[in-house]
Amino acid sequence: MIQDYLILSVILFCLGILGVVTRRNVFTVFMSIELMLNAANLAFITFSRLHESMNGHVLAMMVMAVAAAEAALALAVVILLHKHKSKLDTNVFSLLKG
Amino acid sequence: MFEYALSVMIFLPILAGLTLFLFPFSDSASRISGFIVSIVVLFLGIELFLGFSGSGAMEYAESKAWIESLGIRYSLGVDGISLLVLMAGAILFPMVFTIFSTRSKGFYANLLITQGAMIGAICATDMVLFYIFWEIMLLPIFFMIGIYGGPNRLPATVKITLYTISGSLLMLAGLVYIGVSYHEQFGRWTFDIVELSNLKLSGGFAVLAFFMFMIAFAIKIPLFPFHTWLPDAYTEAPSSTTFVLSAIMAKIGVYGVIRFIVPIFAIELARFAILLAFAGVIGMMYCGLAAIAQKDMKRMLAFSSASHMGIIALGVFCMNVQALTGCLFQIAAHATSTGVLFLFIGLMEERMQTRNIADFGGIAYRAPIFATFFAIAMLASVGLPGTSGFIGEFLIILGAIKFSGFIGFLAGTSLIIGVCYMLWMFQRVFFEKSGEGTEKFQDLSLSEALTFLPVILLILAMGIFPQPFIKKIEPTAQLHIAEMTMMAQKQLADTRLPIVVDTHQKN
Amino acid sequence: MEHTVTYLGFIPLLPLLGAVVIGLLHMFTCKKTPLPELFYGALACIGPVLSFFLALVVFFQLKGLPAEDRFLTHNVFTWFAVGDLHVDMGFLADPLSSLMLLFVTFIGSLIHIYSVGYMAGDENFGKFFSYLNLFLGSMLILVLGSGPVVMFVGWEGVGLCSYLLISFYSKDTDNVLAGNKAFIVNRIGDLGFVLGMSVLFWAIGASGFDYLSLKANVAGIPPGVGVAVCLLLFVGACGKSAQIPLYVWLPDAMAGPTPVSALIHAATMVTAGVYMVARFSFLYAHYPVAGSVVAWVGILTALLAAIFGMFQKDIKKILAYSTVSQLGYMFAGVGVAAYSAGIFHVFTHAFFKALLFLGAGSVIYALHHEQDIWKMGGLKEKLPKTYMTMLVGAFALAGCPPFAGFFSKDEILFSALATGHTGIWLIGVLVAGMTAYYTFRMIFLVFHGTPRVQESFDHAHEPPAVMTVPLIILAVGALFAGFLNLPGIFGGNLNVSHWLAPSLLEHHPHVSVWFELLAIATSVAAFAIGITLAYKKFGQGATEPEFTGFAKFGYHKFYVDEIYNAVFVQPYKAFGSVISRFLEPNVTDLHIKLSTWLYQKAGTAFKVFQVGYVRIYAIYMVIGLSLMSLFLSQTIK
Repeated sequence: MIQDYLILSVILFCLGILGVVTRRNVFTVFMSIELMLNAANLAFITFSRLHESMNGHVLAMMVMAVAAAEAALALAVVILLHKHKSKLDTNVFSLLKG
Repeated sequence: MFEYALSVMIFLPILAGLTLFLFPFSDSASRISGFIVSIVVLFLGIELFLGFSGSGAMEYAESKAWIESLGIRYSLGVDGISLLVLMAGAILFPMVFTIFSTRSKGFYANLLITQGAMIGAICATDMVLFYIFWEIMLLPIFFMIGIYGGPNRLPATVKITLYTISGSLLMLAGLVYIGVSYHEQFGRWTFDIVELSNLKLSGGFAVLAFFMFMIAFAIKIPLFPFHTWLPDAYTEAPSSTTFVLSAIMAKIGVYGVIRFIVPIFAIELARFAILLAFAGVIGMMYCGLAAIAQKDMKRMLAFSSASHMGIIALGVFCMNVQALTGCLFQIAAHATSTGVLFLFIGLMEERMQTRNIADFGGIAYRAPIFATFFAIAMLASVGLPGTSGFIGEFLIILGAIKFSGFIGFLAGTSLIIGVCYMLWMFQRVFFEKSGEGTEKFQDLSLSEALTFLPVILLILAMGIFPQPFIKKIEPTAQLHIAEMTMMAQKQLADTRLPIVVDTHQKN
Repeated sequence: MEHTVTYLGFIPLLPLLGAVVIGLLHMFTCKKTPLPELFYGALACIGPVLSFFLALVVFFQLKGLPAEDRFLTHNVFTWFAVGDLHVDMGFLADPLSSLMLLFVTFIGSLIHIYSVGYMAGDENFGKFFSYLNLFLGSMLILVLGSGPVVMFVGWEGVGLCSYLLISFYSKDTDNVLAGNKAFIVNRIGDLGFVLGMSVLFWAIGASGFDYLSLKANVAGIPPGVGVAVCLLLFVGACGKSAQIPLYVWLPDAMAGPTPVSALIHAATMVTAGVYMVARFSFLYAHYPVAGSVVAWVGILTALLAAIFGMFQKDIKKILAYSTVSQLGYMFAGVGVAAYSAGIFHVFTHAFFKALLFLGAGSVIYALHHEQDIWKMGGLKEKLPKTYMTMLVGAFALAGCPPFAGFFSKDEILFSALATGHTGIWLIGVLVAGMTAYYTFRMIFLVFHGTPRVQESFDHAHEPPAVMTVPLIILAVGALFAGFLNLPGIFGGNLNVSHWLAPSLLEHHPHVSVWFELLAIATSVAAFAIGITLAYKKFGQGATEPEFTGFAKFGYHKFYVDEIYNAVFVQPYKAFGSVISRFLEPNVTDLHIKLSTWLYQKAGTAFKVFQVGYVRIYAIYMVIGLSLMSLFLSQTIK
């Protein structure tokens, strides 16, 4: 019963990974990351329920706060990237290539 | 009253340096404040020297718990081994603030931090504390060469930094090994140098750790063949930095060998002493020969400095009282001779805008006082009796003869090698006809002359009345050698390793 | 018996103080208004003269003591003490050092006085006298030192001063090079001295490292070590006293002002080696092998230098080689364990060589720095005092009875014969003939015949009294010094030898009177032949010959300087260049080059993974995390 929630969380997480790895649009990648964060949140809540403790809730709230902060920063970065190259394709940004 | 003298000597310059960094001082104000701080340290150093009883044990000791879970303590102390190195660091420093035209604020701040860190490394009796100061020492040097150095400063900076850091990291690994071994054998953590000397190390790992330490110190000394950073760094660094490098920092390498390797790795040292002694004499001859082919005065002196360091290091590896005392004495003597020569060359460079030996000539007629001072420092560096250079060199050669006749002979050739390049340089620079550039060469100004006068007098005093200095360092040297011999023999008896410690039975 | 006398330390201290005071005065005034020369001159002469009087006091005090108790000591302070090594800055006056002391201070003082005249008008007048005082002070430390280490202070000190004084006219590169050569060659010898001293210390030095303790413990030294010590110390003596193979610096040392040459050759410096061997006679006497090496090196040097001396044309070079040659005699003397004979020759040689050099200085002074004997001639009319005094010196050098050199040289040759060193004796007699030849070749060419360069002859004039009076005093010495040690055959009783006996360890072999007469007769004959040949060839005025064959070879000193240059100096420099141009950047740095190369290669290899796309990095991360989770899940179980 409770495992179903965990399985859902895993599925969401894997979808997130797939999104990050395969999609080239910056926004899609960003949304995939959010998806992974929420998968983690779901896992926290589930375990919280399982152990009958509020710790997981606390962490979930914190993850949400971090996600919000991250979104604010990331969107600013995306705008700068767009200004720089006028594109949102991640393949364009490969300065780290060795 | 002087309970915390050492801490003050360490942290006063460091704090002063940081203050200079953080607050807007003008260049000349920072120069003056740096001078004042170094004078305070100088007086503390002299007080400390006069109050030093020379009993052989640690004096002025301070000890506070620091990282208790690992037994790391903030402990300081001075004994005969560190005394003269400390004096070199404390007494010679004000000179770099009084001569040369004013440099920028950051330079003086870096100089002060170097001084504090060096004194810290010299006084630390806890290995971790020593390691920390040892690393801090490098940072300001990095900035001083990298920012204020000569035209080819960047490669030189990279070379000295990478060289020394790789050595330091090896030492860190060795340090961890020693701490863990101590914990295994005695069931508690400590990095106190006195307690660590009870360690019984044996086997391949001990040899490995020995070499890790040895390479770290060999790079700093520098011992052949790890000296290749030296000519570049010494040449490119500003003259005051070169002075600090050669007069004090190189000595900390030798000091480290005596302080840490001799008590802890007694048996390994005895085993590899011949090898290391050869590295010392070969370095001496190699660098001495290289010096004669140099066209740049500073580079020549850099090689000469490396050559002398080979002999000084040899004093440690001979493992007898005479050689060790000679080595400790020579540490200070070399700082007063070759170190000061670097400052003289800095002055000449400032006046002539060149360091090329061929551009000079006839300075002895233009600047008799300068020439006399230079000649005295030069004669001390070639080890003429009556100057500070002779006592140490003689004791080291004497000790080397006992250690091995052949090595003693090779060490003795430094008498000849040193004099060859020095006279050759002196002839070109001070004698012969004066050229266009040297026609207007200014003699020492009053402030410059007053800066150098105490050191010149010190050179003569150390040559004519060395006993007051030797009296303070000799008991510790005796103790050190006795302990080391005992340890080596005990370990030999314990482990029954088939090693021949031929250095002590052969009389 | 109390032997400590506190004035002993003042003997070297006075000239040293003079050196410091004059040096400082000169240093601070030479660029503004120089002080008057007379002031410097007076200041410079005070120290040596006072030292001479103190030396007299020492001598008479020693004379008052019983023969076996004749030594005075003064340990001023502990110089350094490390472990068993204990070195006092101490001084020891015994018969040997007191004799040295007397003539070193006496002749030194005379040379100081002479120099006041000779150096007049030189812009570095003060500097010269500062160095001169320092030189004398160092020599006195050498002589008076109570142990080998203190002796070494003076030993190096005279080396330094010879460097400073030889390169005194330092604007000329050749002079500086000559100075460098002197210092470096001396240093080679010093290496031997230091090594010998160290070996000696480890053998018997632990219970006191001064002569008296060493002498007492000499029995404890193993024979092999003893020979090694003797030979190593002798290397030092070779450097200082210009013996084969280290004699090359002395002829070049002529680059300095002439009084310096006199000082180096007569009173200080070169006699140090002989003195040292005599000082260590307690060691050398036990090892005849080492003694023979010393004697043979000495006599061969005497021969070689005499050959060179016969062909030189520079008046100072002739005298220089004659010094090398006479030093060879001295070593032959001390080598065959006739220490007092060797030291006595040092003593007489000091008089006549100082005389000859100062006389040569007068000639050079009179001719405005002309040194080529083929440009002189007939000067005896112009310089009568110089001529007479130099003639006395020449007779003494050539070994004509009854001049000083005859007795001392004869004593050495006789000792060589009596101890069975017939080869040394034969060569010695040969060299005596050659000495007479080249000495009188010089005298005839300079003073006899007709002037070869009329112009300089016309301008020649006798130097001032401050220069001629020392000459006359020295001439008296050269004439009569020999009588101090008159052997029994002439009705004397070897006063000097008996005086020296407590300091030295020597046996006087007893041989028949005929033997002694034979030795004397041969050396007189050698002298007569030499002077006759010289008179025949040069007595009536000769013209400069073209050197050919052996003479050319001899004139160029067998090309030894060139050979040394090619074998030692050039390879040394070349090796230095090879190291700094090739080895240092390419070979020694190899371990660094190798590690940087490795880092670079490794970096290139790992570059493949750095594709630059964020999502690929994400894949790496996922893979890594998965593997770690897998590992953890496996292990936790």
